[in-house]
Amino acid sequence: MAAAPKIPVEPSYRDIDRSVLRVMEPAGLAYWAWIGFCFTLVAIAAGFWLRQIYSGLGVTGLRQPVMWAIYITNFVFWVGIAHSGTLISAILFLFRTKWRTAVYRAAETMTIFAVATAGLFPLIHLGRVWFFYWLLPYPNQRYLQPDFRSPLVWDAFAVSTYLTISALFWTMGLIPDVANAREAATGWRKKFYTALAMGWQGTDRQWRHYSMAYLLMAGLATPLVLSVHSVVSWDFAMAINPGWHSTIFAPYFVAGAIFSGVAMVITLLIPMRKLLGIEDLLTEWHFDNLAKVVLLTSLVVSYAYITEAFMTWYTGDPIEQMTFHMRYFGPWGWMYWVMVLCNCVIPLLLFSPRIRVNMRALWIITIFVNIGMWFERFVIIAGSLTANIEPSQWAGYRPSITEIMITVGSFAWFVGLFSLFAKFLPIISMTELKEGIVWLRKALKMDRVKAA
Amino acid sequence: MSTIAIISSFADETQCVQAVEELRAAQVGDFNTFSPIPSHKIEHAIGRSKSPVRWLVLAGGISGVLTGLAITIGTTYEWRLNAGGRPLLSWPPFIVICFELMVLLGGIFGFFGVLMLSGVPTTTMAPGYDGRFGEDRFGIVVRCDEAEAARVESMLKESGAEEVVREDEAQPR
Repeated sequence: MAAAPKIPVEPSYRDIDRSVLRVMEPAGLAYWAWIGFCFTLVAIAAGFWLRQIYSGLGVTGLRQPVMWAIYITNFVFWVGIAHSGTLISAILFLFRTKWRTAVYRAAETMTIFAVATAGLFPLIHLGRVWFFYWLLPYPNQRYLQPDFRSPLVWDAFAVSTYLTISALFWTMGLIPDVANAREAATGWRKKFYTALAMGWQGTDRQWRHYSMAYLLMAGLATPLVLSVHSVVSWDFAMAINPGWHSTIFAPYFVAGAIFSGVAMVITLLIPMRKLLGIEDLLTEWHFDNLAKVVLLTSLVVSYAYITEAFMTWYTGDPIEQMTFHMRYFGPWGWMYWVMVLCNCVIPLLLFSPRIRVNMRALWIITIFVNIGMWFERFVIIAGSLTANIEPSQWAGYRPSITEIMITVGSFAWFVGLFSLFAKFLPIISMTELKEGIVWLRKALKMDRVKAA
Repeated sequence: MSTIAIISSFADETQCVQAVEELRAAQVGDFNTFSPIPSHKIEHAIGRSKSPVRWLVLAGGISGVLTGLAITIGTTYEWRLNAGGRPLLSWPPFIVICFELMVLLGGIFGFFGVLMLSGVPTTTMAPGYDGRFGEDRFGIVVRCDEAEAARVESMLKESGAEEVVREDEAQPR
């Protein structure tokens, strides 16, 4: 793509519209090649899944007692990634945070696709996927119903509510922006955006209802986002398995989710702003603030690791202590220390204001965080199952090619969907950027002064 | 006397607010505005009460909690699982389901409430709508008697309108 014209240091509403709408112009060959690559990987993963459905879970590495491994790790990882979107779009909206306007649409989009990816894993993990609806209560002649005391049932409700509410909240924010795109577009795109905008015109009557509903939906989404990862953590904490059965799990998982989610936002935004030529709208100021959130949550997560170790020592439970001994120094001990390095040590670099605005350094740090957080989930989930209560049951686990390819496919699915969105719908909210134009102007001035 | 529509556009939010205030004070006809952003100043100047969508969200939330109670209690009675003689109804887990359904139905009612109250989806555009009003211009459309048109036009111009046209003169863009 040609270099983007710089927007003036005092941008007008029109400059914002032009910069955002320019991204949505028809894409080149490289873009379609990239989309093709992503969805080829998805197709390969789908093939492996079909093979697994046909021949059963025996094609995976899942053996007693390690029946939850990479699939469930991926589920928790992707639900975690989803959390930053709602944090940025709803919680920071309620706090009236100024820097959220430019990044919230991308973060929220990431949320939708991350939940859509996460939602696949419990299904992939099912031996007989065609019976997935057994999780839901429905009338049947045997009077057989799900047990609402099971956290797995809570999870089905929490994750599907999360997906629905995030999608509605996101669609609502998109409507005025798509109406803007409708005015600028031609050909089939005009028809497409006209249908999506549903006749939005921005009258006082429409804005009055919109503003109120947006505020209330942010209010509903805020406790929801905290509840969803708490419920996910209870999938583990409610079981009496050593390494899982702990009261700190809910806040520990929520902090970890925000940590990994914001890191993923940065990982996606840094190449995206360059490739789509929107460096003027996503300034150093935005990244500086995102990096601070990563740093804060990294410290919370580190604190949780220490608390977890302390609680294990303090309770004096020998079985719990053995599980943790195996976690730190057992055959998979290296994974734990990779996780500590990526989640607790490397993010400390973000204390330096220079590193927080150095895009290359920030990108590499956030990739380490993503790797670390994936390992964290794997260590907790599969690691705790390898060294269970009875030493006679201890066993290892080795992922099969099916699990690895489906995991790779899930990343391709997520990135592919995100790339499609970024080109066809406004990846930055024009409406909100205009509302907070004063802050964008300030950020641009800071950037230009620095550059000079 | 026939009613006509006067369409005006403003480059600046403050001027638009000023025009709205003057129109309200002069009590001429009825009017509506177009704006590229949800402007609290304009909303305040128009002085309408708070949007009733909040009652819809409340209704959705309450029906969510009730649905949650109905399905948890109802299914428990349908499939009576005796867990060591403990009480049949386990309230703490039911709270999780009720909470999730409260958020779910509250959100769904809110979303569809906004669509319903703001009259979308629609294929007809309000008189005077212009694509620029989504971009960077604020618009006011006044419907008044022909006799008052001149007064309204001068009021709009004095407030700083860039352009003031009558509906029959307005060219489709």
